[in-house]
Amino acid sequence: MSKENVLRLSDVTMQFGGVVALNNLNLEVNKGEIIGLIGPNGAGKTTAFNAITGVYPPTNGRVEMNGEVIAENFPKGKMKGMYKGQNEGKYTKSVMLTPDKITKRGIARTFQNIRLFKELSVFENVLIAKHMHYKANLATATLMINAKEEKRMREETMELLTLLGLEKNKDDVSTSLPYGKQRHLEIARALATKPTLLLLDEPAAGMNPQESDDLMHFVSKIRDDFDLSILTIEHHMQFVMGISERIYVLDYGTLIAEGTPSEIQNNPRVIEAYLGVDD
Amino acid sequence: MSNKTKNLCSLALALVIVGFIACSYYMTDKTSMIRTVLQLGAIYALAACSMNLLNGVTGLFSLGQAGFMAVGAYVFAVFTIPVSKKAGVYYLYGVADWLKNIELSPFIAMILGGLVAAFLAYLIGIPVLRLKSDYFAIATLGFAEIVRILVASSLFNKITNGSLGLNSIPKFTKVFGLPSYFTPFIVVAICITIIMLVVRSTYGRAFKAIREDEIAAEAMGINLAKHKRMSFIISSFFAGVSGALLVQYLGATTPTTFPIAMTYNILLIVVIGGMGSMTGSIISAFLVTAAKEWWLRFLDVEHYIGGFHIPLMRTGFRMVVFSVILMIVVLFWRRGIMGNKEFSWDGIYNFFTGKNKKKKAKAEAAEGGALNE
Repeated sequence: MSKENVLRLSDVTMQFGGVVALNNLNLEVNKGEIIGLIGPNGAGKTTAFNAITGVYPPTNGRVEMNGEVIAENFPKGKMKGMYKGQNEGKYTKSVMLTPDKITKRGIARTFQNIRLFKELSVFENVLIAKHMHYKANLATATLMINAKEEKRMREETMELLTLLGLEKNKDDVSTSLPYGKQRHLEIARALATKPTLLLLDEPAAGMNPQESDDLMHFVSKIRDDFDLSILTIEHHMQFVMGISERIYVLDYGTLIAEGTPSEIQNNPRVIEAYLGVDD
Repeated sequence: MSNKTKNLCSLALALVIVGFIACSYYMTDKTSMIRTVLQLGAIYALAACSMNLLNGVTGLFSLGQAGFMAVGAYVFAVFTIPVSKKAGVYYLYGVADWLKNIELSPFIAMILGGLVAAFLAYLIGIPVLRLKSDYFAIATLGFAEIVRILVASSLFNKITNGSLGLNSIPKFTKVFGLPSYFTPFIVVAICITIIMLVVRSTYGRAFKAIREDEIAAEAMGINLAKHKRMSFIISSFFAGVSGALLVQYLGATTPTTFPIAMTYNILLIVVIGGMGSMTGSIISAFLVTAAKEWWLRFLDVEHYIGGFHIPLMRTGFRMVVFSVILMIVVLFWRRGIMGNKEFSWDGIYNFFTGKNKKKKAKAEAAEGGALNE
């Protein structure tokens, strides 16, 4: 491919006990792309996100970001005997970065069930995401030797809030925001970590058509403004078809289709997975 | 309110507090209850603030406070008992050879006490910080108990003097040429200022993020293990210092000076003041100490009104009333006196002008919504 590869999942399998939640997933995100990941409930979409962001290591397979391995594993220990997936023996290394390290590499995410810092203000929510960019150590931060840095971070946070239309709410407690704005705030918080790849877990969940339409424009806008690649899980077909350049479809942990929105819409296997088959 | 008025108000408040403490020294005699309450209250305020940093700000529910205070207290005591008095203190078991000629300055010993407590926190943090919520509480409770038992055990008789405890511990020494009465206030003020600065810094915000949502905090690039350890160590350091202050106040210590009940006492101060609010902890430390040691004392004495014997009032009744008051306070201020907010002039201003009511109602509605989820 001529395009620069940002994220690549190779043969990623997740097995919990005897359940294969994700089976041999191969997925690629190129620079500047918006990719959709869809599938019926329980298809393994969020599991894929968790494997990418280091919440748990894959049972088998490799996740690479910008060509660097951020997670790689092979069945071992107890899993060795009960492994049901494919490609056993293809991977021999075990690399496991914790979520915070992966965020530092430039992957930020939002959560399916909003996970804001509930009792803190909107401003603090975003400012906290800047914590890892502070150069000050505990002593210099405590003694306020880093006043300049602190001021810069606060300015950047304010800029970000203004850009995302949250500046009026900056002192509100995050949970007092209306639902749609909480979603925006989660995205703002993810952007504050200065990612190159943004993972959105059902950003349009619970939104009416108008709101999800607005969100669509919003997501394409931040992609351009922040020079991002975006991988999004979504159930709203209108949203996902409208925004994605390519779509991956999962069903029971297995990739059943991949392609442009129009290809996916006409793919018989996808229709089967979503609507069932006529007997 | 403008910044200028706020600064003026703060300055005035600081002057009032300093003036009040000075008055308590120059206008009362040595055995005055005000002195006791102020000194003890200040020491408990530091203990409560250090516990609040871990329990209230970082959300790690620890019950090891008494253990860390005991470590600080014993390290202080062991290294500051005057060489000339050592033979008398350790008359039964004798003193360890390496300890015979050691006598540190109280301020160095206080810092050393804090450092040893912090180092122990680092060590036990390695396994214990992997635990979550209740399990963490139980593990730290176990640690506090282990400390108490080790201190009392015959293993360290030559250092800790076993269950006999240590006495002849030097009382507060002068700082900045001021009378020694002011020493605990100065030390406590410095320590609490540092704790508050930590909470205000970006690290303090990271601690709060961990309290609010660990998974989200980690996804925002906050290294959970590192920051939890940091908070645990800082908290333990100041717990150690507060223990050292407490033995200076008492002049003697035995293993039973730091029972589990001590942890609960401090936890009570933290909860009443508001989890996560340092100013709340300070206010409630003084209120609780005053109520326990002073204002409710009259309940412990039998009273007669015109020959009529008032029932119930006898030794120990004070604590019954105290407990009832506590229950009432907790019922009406579910989140403590200050909630998780710090003292601010805006808060006071809004409280009196009622500006905050609308905002508060909104927040409460949101909280109710969160509960319904």
